[in-house]
Amino acid sequence: MTAVVLDGIVLGLQFGLLGVGMTLVYGLGGVLNLAYGQAAVLAAMVVAVALTAGAPALVAAGAGLLTAAAGGVVLDRTLMLPVYHQRGEHRVLLGLLLTLGVAFVVDGLLLWRYPTGALRLTIGGEAVPILGVRMRAGSLWASGISLAVGAILLLFFRATTLGRAARSVIQDEVGARLVGINPAAVRTFIFALSGALAGLVAVTRSMTSPVGVTAGFDFTILALIVAVVGGLGSVAGAFLAGVLLGIVSTVSAFYIGQYITTIVLLAAAALTIVMRPRGLLGR
Amino acid sequence: MTVEFDATVESEAAPLGVSARPPRSLVRAFWPIAATGAVLALVPLWLGDSRLMMGLAVDALVFGAYAIAFNVIFGSTNQLFLCVGALAGVGGYASAILADQAGLPMAVALALATALATVVGGLLSWVAVRRSLGVIFTGIVTLAFSLSFANLVLGQRGLTGGETGLVVAAGEGSFLRERVAAFYLFLGMLVAFLVVFRALERSHIGWAFRALRDSELAAELAGVDVARYRVYAGLIGSAMLGITGAVYAHSDGFIGPSTFGFGHVDVRVLVMLAFGGLGTLLGPVVGTVVFAVLDELLVDAGQLRTVVYGLLIIALFLGFKRGAVPAVADLLRLLVRRARSRIGR
Repeated sequence: MTAVVLDGIVLGLQFGLLGVGMTLVYGLGGVLNLAYGQAAVLAAMVVAVALTAGAPALVAAGAGLLTAAAGGVVLDRTLMLPVYHQRGEHRVLLGLLLTLGVAFVVDGLLLWRYPTGALRLTIGGEAVPILGVRMRAGSLWASGISLAVGAILLLFFRATTLGRAARSVIQDEVGARLVGINPAAVRTFIFALSGALAGLVAVTRSMTSPVGVTAGFDFTILALIVAVVGGLGSVAGAFLAGVLLGIVSTVSAFYIGQYITTIVLLAAAALTIVMRPRGLLGR
Repeated sequence: MTVEFDATVESEAAPLGVSARPPRSLVRAFWPIAATGAVLALVPLWLGDSRLMMGLAVDALVFGAYAIAFNVIFGSTNQLFLCVGALAGVGGYASAILADQAGLPMAVALALATALATVVGGLLSWVAVRRSLGVIFTGIVTLAFSLSFANLVLGQRGLTGGETGLVVAAGEGSFLRERVAAFYLFLGMLVAFLVVFRALERSHIGWAFRALRDSELAAELAGVDVARYRVYAGLIGSAMLGITGAVYAHSDGFIGPSTFGFGHVDVRVLVMLAFGGLGTLLGPVVGTVVFAVLDELLVDAGQLRTVVYGLLIIALFLGFKRGAVPAVADLLRLLVRRARSRIGR
């Protein structure tokens, strides 16, 4: 049982980061980015290609994250511009449909170029016993990186000017403009951050299990579930929801089965929307 | 507070589609349906020799029927049901299981399966309306239902055959398995759905649909029970989806998880409708024909076909928010008017 819960936490920390990327873009731009998972897969493929070309792991990972971040910026600066002209539900709907199109384009191109592409990082080192359970080095690295990045993110949004600016735009765009914040610049930054986060999750995920070229849609759905349960727009909420859902997911997969687990996660999102639309920590 | 108010005011105009009134006269209201039916009825004369091509034509009609149902739900009342495939799947799997494993006569199984899909769709609609979920949250909840259904099908191997799919015995040897006969059956269903759509448009329900789509707030203030009419649309559309899925299961003889999968059905229906024009009578039919042809043209493109579809989605929703066909029709009308005025001068 302890082993299952610890595995759940390892998974959940990554869920959390995944959810943060989704929730930030929604909170800031009012866009549910359905091409989010494709950013993760794109990063994974770049890392895989760089590794086979002989680049050191850190450089390869950096290249992957940068590509995903650049993808986010390109999306924000081109296709999302007409979306920002819309308001309310139109904006969300148009954003949803356009990013769905982008997801298809990226998916199709990657599948066409790398039909059997997959990223798997092997982390050497002895398994370390924690609470009497031997944890693989890959899991520990993945969790360590996720925790560190999560902490940095929380600190960033509380203590730095840019982070505070981002939060102020999430709360009230007009108000933020009044105190001299340029929402468009903040948005571009957040899209880049979101892409990089997706890439990071793809990299940490590949330390415990392979990330295939077709995983994009699954990443997107997971991120969506986590973001909804945590409350759209809430960073801390996404983390909390990620860890909770990670534990629920491994426990349910262990005791009931894989298919039911997916249903449980989806039901969690649906029930959140129906019972408490603002999520765990949403405003 | 102000932000919420802004949101209601600005979501006034219908985002997609047009809320034009249907013609008054019976002939003018229904002749497009008759003409469509007559033209499509000629297809077997042309393709009837090839079993493969007829199979594709039948599939296209099935998608046309799905698109009309989605048009009733989303096009008429703005409920983003991302579970078109799943609701059809409820019909298809329920009918197959009831007929083959419970031993019910096929007609009874069909009726029960349709009823089940209707109830499920109605429930989804009811929940969305009760909790007044917006377009997006309705979309997420129905998407969750869609994916849950797919996992249920995969998980319950004993009933559904899991990944390998299910061979449907009921309907074996009947006219349903003849491609040409099946074509006319599905064409009949398509025409019937179109008639229902137009009849709805002309009834008081259609008035309510147009009112709530143009402005939900104004409709509510004018005494339209928005919640009730949304659920009506959900029930009618789901019934169409259920019966189409069920008949398809018996006619094709094989159903699998991808038959009713989100990526296979919902995305395609959305693009078809976006192309033909959301909320219009013949939009789904135009989309059906165009995509059947496009699929044939792109058959060798493999994965690049996905890329083309993606680009198409982007272009459609960027350029023609009301659908490509209505946009082109408007343009033609404008050109004709200009030409006329020039001649007049």
